[in-house]
Amino acid sequence: MKNAFIFFSAITLALLCYGTYQGLVVAPREETMGDAQRIFYYHVPSATAAYSLFFVNFVASIVYLWKRSARADAWAMAAAEVGIVFATATLTLGMIWARYAWGHWWAWDMRLTTFLILWLLYVSYLVLRRSSEAGSTYVMSAALAVVVFLDVPFNYMANRWFRTNHPQPVTLDDPRMKFALMTTMIAFLAFAALIVWFRYDIERAVQKVAATHIRKATRSVMASIAAPAVLFFQLPELEIHRQRTFMYGGYIAAWVIYLGYLLLLMMKRSNLKKEASELAR
Amino acid sequence: MSNAANSIAGLTWANVVKDVRLEWRSRDVFNSMLFFALLVVVIFSFAFDPTAEESREIVGGLIWVAFLFSTVTALNQSWARELRNGVLDAYRVSPAPAEALFFGKCIGNFIFVTVLECLMAPLFVVFYNLTFAGPAWQMVVILVLGTWALVINGTFFAVMSIRTRNRELMLPLLLLPISIPAIMSMVQSTRAVLNGTTPGGHIKLLAGYCVVFTTACYLLFETVLNAE
Repeated sequence: MKNAFIFFSAITLALLCYGTYQGLVVAPREETMGDAQRIFYYHVPSATAAYSLFFVNFVASIVYLWKRSARADAWAMAAAEVGIVFATATLTLGMIWARYAWGHWWAWDMRLTTFLILWLLYVSYLVLRRSSEAGSTYVMSAALAVVVFLDVPFNYMANRWFRTNHPQPVTLDDPRMKFALMTTMIAFLAFAALIVWFRYDIERAVQKVAATHIRKATRSVMASIAAPAVLFFQLPELEIHRQRTFMYGGYIAAWVIYLGYLLLLMMKRSNLKKEASELAR
Repeated sequence: MSNAANSIAGLTWANVVKDVRLEWRSRDVFNSMLFFALLVVVIFSFAFDPTAEESREIVGGLIWVAFLFSTVTALNQSWARELRNGVLDAYRVSPAPAEALFFGKCIGNFIFVTVLECLMAPLFVVFYNLTFAGPAWQMVVILVLGTWALVINGTFFAVMSIRTRNRELMLPLLLLPISIPAIMSMVQSTRAVLNGTTPGGHIKLLAGYCVVFTTACYLLFETVLNAE
């Protein structure tokens, strides 16, 4: 199992490097957006991964309600939490792109609004998990996950009448652009699967130790990284530099989010190990 | 006891009557809910200070935010009452079907919120100088569907949140995100009626929302009630 995990990690890492290289270097510059368009190669795959993970959460919750297996609950938990991380990266990348393309960070446009609501819904799922009493957590969160998933289509319909200025689903004409998107898409789905696997193992250990301790401090550290980062995009610069700023800014922001989350998981795991060894003593 | 009283409809009715009677005698939920909604109306008028023309645009939102917040206060109380003296545990061990309890609670809450709306709607008309450009009977359909949409999910999430550590705080955290599509269509259709345009699509969406979530909550309620 451990070998399989390491093997899969290596493949994912290679795919991510190759995909990023394709997106940053090989794919040609887009005419109107310039280099800032390259954010797209991270933004869309992250969104796809987030949607897939929320679907996994729904299926796992149904399986839990049916079979009452703790494994299904661990899958649901892992998928929801990692899904929120990918959704956060999607929103951040989208906002950075919007600051360049539209001149403002946020617009109450249909896709942005529905995606934000989706994010809020799954955060409320995690909030319920944190604050429910130990015995009833699994059942209640599974029931909530089902209701939350049913809410998603209504969200789309209710927002349909909103004015939309999000770019329509793009048709990439250049085959190199298509290839860059395809590789990053595969890489991000593999990456999502990898983190969920990792998170799932931790959740299983948590279920065994029956204790959850998360270092909240790490989150405030991440917030304090994000605040000065916003200033970074305000610098007045030449057009070509501005495009690059937003492009690199987007890529760096995505990796800060992903690596920050991985760091959090590592800390959680080492805490668990410590607890487990104390219990064993 | 006769057979009719033991059917699901009979048990639901018994629950509704019990809730309404308790509320009629104590009036502790209803009075605070009414006063709260009144305060929201007054504070909004200070916060936005709208002219008659502007209020036509924003009042759809104000009405529903006021109703939503007062519904949340009512819903928190409706299950908290059952926790005293271990009534909820008694329900769980009783052979009566859980659906009867759930729908009894829903209908009871629906009655409270509807009475509140009947009292508050004239106040909105007076305070914000409203006139209906569209047919006013559509407002009745929107109010009934909208209230049901809030109450069905609210009752379901209230029984969930009553069993978490931060009870009263939990309900709005769960209910508000889920209710966003419903609130959006309530607000849009109310605005359409006030402006005299057709709210067709929004009302259909609201009706669909009610059907889907009534079914989902009905199917999941017993599982949540018995969660250990």
